Amino acid sequence: MDPMNRRSFMALPIASVLLPVANAMMLPEADSEPAAAEYPLAEQIDFSTHVPAPGSFPDKWICGSPSCMDNQDPPVQVHWYNEHTAFLRQNKAYSYEAPFLHLYFGNKRVLMLDQGFTQLRTDWALRDVVDDCIEKWCIRHGRKSEDIPLLLAFSHLHADHYAAINQFADRPNTRYMGLTHDEMVGFWGMTNYPEERVTLDLGGRNILIWGSPGHVISEFAYYDTYTQILYTGDMFYRGRCYISFWDKWFDSMKRLIAFVDTYPVAHVIGCHVEISRTGEDYPYGVTYQPDEAPVQLTVAELRHAFEVAKTITKPGIYFTGSVFLCNQTRGTTTIDKNPYAYSTDI
Amino acid sequence: MTQASYNPVLSGNPQSATAQQYPNGNPNAPYNSPGSKNTDSCVPLDHAEEIVHDYNCDGPAPGNIAFRWLYGSNVAAMNRDPRIQVVQYNEDTFILRENVCVHWEAPFTYLLFGNKGALLIDTGATPEAAWYPLRDTVDAILARWARIRGKQTVPLTVALTSGEDVAQNQGLVQFVGRPDTTLAPTSLAEMKQFYNLSSSWPSGSAKIDLGGRILDVIPTPGAHKDGVTFYDPYNDFLFTGDLLFPGKINIGNDKDYIVSLTRLKEWKDKHPVKWVMGGHIEMQFVPGKAYPRFATYKPYERLLQMEPELIDEALTYAGEVAGKELMLIRPDFILLNQVSPDQRTQVFPAGVPNINAPRPF
Repeated sequence: MDPMNRRSFMALPIASVLLPVANAMMLPEADSEPAAAEYPLAEQIDFSTHVPAPGSFPDKWICGSPSCMDNQDPPVQVHWYNEHTAFLRQNKAYSYEAPFLHLYFGNKRVLMLDQGFTQLRTDWALRDVVDDCIEKWCIRHGRKSEDIPLLLAFSHLHADHYAAINQFADRPNTRYMGLTHDEMVGFWGMTNYPEERVTLDLGGRNILIWGSPGHVISEFAYYDTYTQILYTGDMFYRGRCYISFWDKWFDSMKRLIAFVDTYPVAHVIGCHVEISRTGEDYPYGVTYQPDEAPVQLTVAELRHAFEVAKTITKPGIYFTGSVFLCNQTRGTTTIDKNPYAYSTDI
Repeated sequence: MTQASYNPVLSGNPQSATAQQYPNGNPNAPYNSPGSKNTDSCVPLDHAEEIVHDYNCDGPAPGNIAFRWLYGSNVAAMNRDPRIQVVQYNEDTFILRENVCVHWEAPFTYLLFGNKGALLIDTGATPEAAWYPLRDTVDAILARWARIRGKQTVPLTVALTSGEDVAQNQGLVQFVGRPDTTLAPTSLAEMKQFYNLSSSWPSGSAKIDLGGRILDVIPTPGAHKDGVTFYDPYNDFLFTGDLLFPGKINIGNDKDYIVSLTRLKEWKDKHPVKWVMGGHIEMQFVPGKAYPRFATYKPYERLLQMEPELIDEALTYAGEVAGKELMLIRPDFILLNQVSPDQRTQVFPAGVPNINAPRPF
């Protein structure tokens, strides 16, 4: 592979593929979405003046059901954080991993981070949901969706974050990350992973990307300059951060702390939620989490976790109050206990 | 031409996957075994009276689990399999299984008939009848069975291998208020009273008489403090619930566990046992590998039934985990003592092939 090609892709628009669009204006829009009339045709959206762009999270995400086969929620919940940013959350009844996916819209292209834990479009079509989001955004902003390139990348090299990638193989005007470390690093044009920080221009909206290994070797942190959201994947999230490589993870934490020292950060967001509002651990694999804590974390929670991490000297599970730091325990033990254990000595 | 010998290997039949030893039948077995006489014939056009079966037979009653268990689906929300799978083992024995996409524990419940009534062992993990219509399913089987046997009513007893086990006691509410029905209590003290075991728990045993088919109730605490095992002398089954099943066995108290397994071993030495029937399947059909907790897609499950020799094996290895925080893998079950139900181990038993079944994707 010629690295110049990858870099030039980053900089250049992709030739559009024209397809007929069936009366796109007829698509229904949810009440919560801003009206199209506010925006003139093909306006250039200013992503840099008024930052951080405000946004909101739902009070409650879809979170599975006691009986999976009786679940009535959609396979994925689409929530528009703001006009140009959508978060998707996979239904726990469709996969216990229930990852969060991100859609960042820029003037020139769209970035989707993570592709969820579904493989076949016949199981459920993540591709169609994404197409619908892009279509709606384009209608609102006087664009043709076929003109907007879609970039698909993922936080790290685990299947619950990239499984749906092949649903996009025949999508026009689409490019996605390969499933090896080398292809991932090459996709972002990095030659000095993990320290190197690259800037991805979505068309007036910059995404900063750098390496964040520790949970796995191949993981990135993503920072959106428009919402000022820092996306930390499975390396740091409200749940059990399975730390496979402590030293690398600690170095990645140092990089995150150095970043939040320098840049304003509105929210820190990871890929999953595995904790209740009361701090209860939802066990690994569970398909119903009725009282989930929010997905977003504060910078203070990140800093506190780093302070806790400084004191950790050996493998084990450490709760910081917002996340479980599972230092090299994945293959051995976990948090919950046998509820039926009893003593005969009494 | 005279056939000198029969080699079953050379006459495999893909439709006989559950009887691979003799895919086309065992030529050396008798055509007319004594056991066939114990049940009635459907040849007579009308039966004037109730039909009575003789449940006393030499050896286990004939019966077969001739179908594969449902195993969920990759996307649990899209599963459209029956909510309860019913398999008739023989005319007087039914095995019911909760769909793993309704509840991941996918518990088995057993419905046994005698001349004077029926016994439902365990009730599944879901109280909601709309999701898990256990009562309706049992009612339908009872109605069909009563018609065949010329019964006006079939009294039903509902008993549990453990009253505290939420994977087996949740369906009980569906039977509250059902006519002609006796529910075994869920609390330990009341349950002992119910079986008249208050003074002899756990060393004694009790009986449930279904009319010619008398089951034994054997106290077997260890996985649960209120665990019991039922022995069916008709099929020669032990219904062990969570005490011994092909899966990850969470030991609640290791001293009790060993005492109970010892009791079952002694029972097995005195009574014929064909199979040990547990409450769940978690093992895969590759040795020593289990599905993780909460899995809703288990395409490579092990069979439900366990050979009675596994009681001895479980007893041996229960001794190894006793007093320790330990997860111990055996080919057909895994013992977890004083550890999390989600415990992992890197120790795999020596001499057992270490095979990983394919992942869903």
